[in-house]
Amino acid sequence: MKRILLAILFLGTFANAQNTSIEKDSSDVVLDEVMIIAVKNKMKTDIKKTISVDEFLASSDNISFIKRGAYAWEPLLNNMSTERSAITIDGMHVFGACTDKMDPVTSYVESNNLSDIDIKSGQEGSINGATVAGSIDLKRKRTSFGLGKTWHGTYQTGLEFNNKQLFNLGNVSYSSDKLVADGSMSYRKAENYTDGNGDEVNHSQYEKFNTSLGIAYKTTDLSSVRIDAIFDKAKDVGYPALPMDLSLSRALITSVTYKQFFKNKLIKVWDTKLYFNAVEHYMDDTTRPENLVHMDMPGWSTTYGLLSKVNLKKENYSSEIQINAYNNLSIAEMRMYPQDRSETTMFAYSWPWVTTRYAGLSMSNLWNISEKSQLNFGGTLGVNYNFSKYAEFNWIFHPGASQEKTRFLPNLYANYQFKSGVFNSSFGGGYGHRAPSVSEGYGYYIYNSFDRYDYIGNPDLENEISYEANASAGFKNKKGGLQAQVNYFYIQNYIIGKILSQGSPMNYQSVGVKGYTSLDHATLFNLTMHANYSILENLHWKGTLTYARGLDENKNNLPFIRPLSYQTSLHYSYQNLGFLTSFHGDLKQIDYSPEYGEDETPSYTNWNISADYTFYIKNYKTVFQVGAENIFNEYYSTYADWGNIPRMGRNIFTSLKIDL
Amino acid sequence: MKRLHFVVIVIFVLVTSCTLEKTDYEAELSTETTEYIEFEEVTSITSGDYIISIEALNATLYKGYNEIHLNIINTQTNVSLQDKDVTFLPIVTDANGNKSSCPHAYNLEYNATEGYYLGYAVFTSESDTTISWQLYIDFQEGSQSYKVDQSITVEKQTNMNLNMTAFTGNDNEQYFIALVSPQSPGVAENDLVAGIYKYNQPTSSEGTFPDPSQYAYSVVQDYTLLLDPRMPEASMGNHSSPNNQDLTMENDGLYHGVVNYTMTGNWTLNFIFQNEKGETLKGTEVSTEFTPGIEGAKSDLYIDILF
Ligand SMILES: [Cu+2]
Repeated sequence: MKRILLAILFLGTFANAQNTSIEKDSSDVVLDEVMIIAVKNKMKTDIKKTISVDEFLASSDNISFIKRGAYAWEPLLNNMSTERSAITIDGMHVFGACTDKMDPVTSYVESNNLSDIDIKSGQEGSINGATVAGSIDLKRKRTSFGLGKTWHGTYQTGLEFNNKQLFNLGNVSYSSDKLVADGSMSYRKAENYTDGNGDEVNHSQYEKFNTSLGIAYKTTDLSSVRIDAIFDKAKDVGYPALPMDLSLSRALITSVTYKQFFKNKLIKVWDTKLYFNAVEHYMDDTTRPENLVHMDMPGWSTTYGLLSKVNLKKENYSSEIQINAYNNLSIAEMRMYPQDRSETTMFAYSWPWVTTRYAGLSMSNLWNISEKSQLNFGGTLGVNYNFSKYAEFNWIFHPGASQEKTRFLPNLYANYQFKSGVFNSSFGGGYGHRAPSVSEGYGYYIYNSFDRYDYIGNPDLENEISYEANASAGFKNKKGGLQAQVNYFYIQNYIIGKILSQGSPMNYQSVGVKGYTSLDHATLFNLTMHANYSILENLHWKGTLTYARGLDENKNNLPFIRPLSYQTSLHYSYQNLGFLTSFHGDLKQIDYSPEYGEDETPSYTNWNISADYTFYIKNYKTVFQVGAENIFNEYYSTYADWGNIPRMGRNIFTSLKIDL
Repeated sequence: MKRLHFVVIVIFVLVTSCTLEKTDYEAELSTETTEYIEFEEVTSITSGDYIISIEALNATLYKGYNEIHLNIINTQTNVSLQDKDVTFLPIVTDANGNKSSCPHAYNLEYNATEGYYLGYAVFTSESDTTISWQLYIDFQEGSQSYKVDQSITVEKQTNMNLNMTAFTGNDNEQYFIALVSPQSPGVAENDLVAGIYKYNQPTSSEGTFPDPSQYAYSVVQDYTLLLDPRMPEASMGNHSSPNNQDLTMENDGLYHGVVNYTMTGNWTLNFIFQNEKGETLKGTEVSTEFTPGIEGAKSDLYIDILF
């Protein structure tokens, strides 16, 4: 409702005389999506008011994480790793520069420069690029033109006691009829955390600085230009589960956007964005004197791209047509130092200057068939081109493999939703291809400390092809609701590492060499159950249950599939006070995959509690929060904790947020 | 607004300024090795009307394999001597005055298109104060025969990719293996070329010096050199590479195989030398065990390279 109001406000600034038609337009979902500039900040979870991006993602039902430490968790969507999902920032493609996945794209933003994270499951996400698992689009915060109050600021600070994490996040925005600016700055610094046994987990510290700036200028009544930049710098980040840490990682993410609105036309808005981003990532093992070999492993990833979309609407039908093109160059080097430092160093590329070009034309449609039913459908046709500059590295394991490779990547989906009274249901399907990632196609001796193998890419891997079915059913009334969702993926040519009979390890911790290989197929099943109930007007209960199963062609378990997990929380509010308590945990991981380096992970339960108090300091709304996570101080690690590193023990946190 | 511009510029400068340099891979490959393609004159000898110009890569004769080109030109007519019998014999004298030779092409082959006489020599030692090398070149023009000799300098081969080894096989014969190519390998599949020679034990006693029958060498025909490349560096734990091919003889009289180097640095080419019956004359198998922290084991027949 607030969104609609804001939309009306916004539209009102340039279309005073057309109130009736505007009201109609503003209730339209698609237009709402593109026009709304000031979106309610959703970057908080039930338990915490001030969070990291990872914590926010964790609150989504279909996201789980591979954790290599306290920082930069790798988000798994529908229990699939990041190669299978399209992760974008406002639709822009950014690729991490680390061969060891220390830097998922989500690590280059901060919660205070985002307004929301848009997660689409399965092929519906293909509008953001070819995908199997779905898409995660990080939405930047934007202030709208002509808000009554020209300056607005937010300041958040807090302390987490377990790892002495201190954070300071500040935002400023300016809004006038012609000009809008958003700025943010944040700094976090944490020391090693302590596990449930009270032992310090070495190399789990981090330090992150992030700043962003966005300036929009209204060129005419119906058009605007916007410049955005994010700069992120992480320093001295420990990865307790890896044999190396990070000395420096930097990203600059920039874009220029031109937006043109149309009045009373079939085309509602045309939005074009040019973008550029550069990521650099320098690993460091001098913090690990126990390592036998000193290595330098720098990585670079540079991407530029174009995103252009138009939104159409006629009566009960709306559509978005999008062109999405980008060029990425990924480089990763590996230099090993012999024990006698006077000897020559040993050098190889782990990403031998791999160029990826993608261009896709996509369309997504929404057809409101009736009051009760609607159909979502769409598709993308993409072309993916890869070029390996130093293909001789790839030829060592794959003699004669192609140096350049062009692939066609079609993606299709449809979903029908039906609503009747308190009941709702939906079912849909999808079909889509994805190209192998840079590591899967061209990776060269990338050490995986989880199964302790060196991984080799294969440039001639087949496209991974996903056939997907999904359904949901739910019930919702004033008191509460119950919702169940299932999806099933049958993935042909599922790419995974298989032990190679040839070659020998290069990294001294490694036990052998694995090559990325296509399985004939693999299947994945995800189930989510969600319930909420208002016991009293100010006492709410919520519960979630997830279950997933992944099997390879021989019905063996796939790795990193979340065991049965649950989350239940109770929220009570009284005047300016809010209380929340929650339990969450995983059951024992029965369906683990020894073949892919997993062992059985026992069950765990976390109990969390928090209280917040809202008050005013001279008209400035202030929220103070205090809480504790893992109150039992349970010693545990989850199925997806790399190398079974223990998670954080009891953590008391406080935060303060002031709206200025 | 101006301040915002300033911030943007500052950020840009910050990001673009102190980036770690990317490795220049081409330069990386040539730090330890130089590839020579041009044949240049090492020395020239005058004999009567003829001037003999000896050419080798980089105008230098090195320990190990050297391809040698001879231009023989009549200084009177300025015409080069074509398609005649030209012989070539290198002789080394050690500190005790003992004379011996090294694998070489005795009868040089005339290359009509290029106009030179083609040969090779695998020098087994470097020249120094006690070791001296002398070349003996004979040719016939009409009824007149020319015999010249010239002392030469054999330099140390700094490119380890052209290393050589000499050994006595189980059959009590003296063998020589000299690397010919690649001069400058890459992290890649490399075509590995080596010359394999043996000393022909003289059957008669020595005639007048230099008696070629005492200093005869021949190309070993149709044996096999089994290849197992490893990184000897202790931290590499005896690291090996896939898809290598053993060396077998081809029409050019050299042995050809494939070696894959997975990264730059020190490598050991471990060999097992087998005759045409598959009997091992020299060399031992190397354990495939991965032994981080321990210097890589070697076959008792190997050549070290570095790039
Ligand atoms: Cu890294």
